[in-house]
Amino acid sequence: MATTPVQKPLPPPNTETIEQRLRRLEEQWKADTEFLSDAGKIVSHPAFRAIIALGRQAVPIMLRDLETQPSLWVWALPEIVGESPVSPGEGGNIRKMTEAWLKWGREKGLR
Amino acid sequence: MIDRLSALFPGLQASPFRVTSPADPNYNCIAWAAGSTADWWWPLDDVRRYFWPAGVSREISLPAFAAAFGALGYAICSDDSFEPGFEKVAIFADAVGTPTHAARQLPTGRWTSKLGQREDIEHDLRALEGDIYGRVVMMLQRPRT
Repeated sequence: MATTPVQKPLPPPNTETIEQRLRRLEEQWKADTEFLSDAGKIVSHPAFRAIIALGRQAVPIMLRDLETQPSLWVWALPEIVGESPVSPGEGGNIRKMTEAWLKWGREKGLR
Repeated sequence: MIDRLSALFPGLQASPFRVTSPADPNYNCIAWAAGSTADWWWPLDDVRRYFWPAGVSREISLPAFAAAFGALGYAICSDDSFEPGFEKVAIFADAVGTPTHAARQLPTGRWTSKLGQREDIEHDLRALEGDIYGRVVMMLQRPRT
């Protein structure tokens, strides 16, 4: 109820790069959740959890995406790196959260 | 996109609707119903990730949603009829009463919804009822300014 059908992430092909895997999971995640407002359902989707499990190797890819446009990667990044540059007053403002993460990435030498 | 929307929301097949904005991940349906395009409103605890009005309980419940809109001057009302002097918001919920979606009535009497990260659409209220958003379970209104 209240969600598009959730598909179990497909097992990765052996030759997949981190970015290829992230893109495959992202496609699955968006297909299942992009019409939802429920942030809990969005971040608990199995494909999103699999993206988080990619770990720090996914961070530069996400930061590159954020340079193009704001996105909900701002909800994944704090779970991956264990910190957040977003101030409490900016929570939910995806544009300002994106700016904070891009600044964080530059300070960490990741962009 | 029109075909996909009609497939996901079968009620749109039987009533007129139109897409009124491009897809935008910066705000969701609750924000849009509240008149904002700046934030993603959802009452999860993490204040660094999700917006919810200050002073309103962060819990996924109809009373918390009523309180969030109450902070904007809305009060619970009985129906979704068009009353020119009032702006109405409809809250959708799933089968166990968990809020899923919100729509706002336009001055024309039709309804506008932001569909998650996707587009805004103008639609008949009940056309979005179904498997994804459940059904309309609560109506709120405030004087239209």
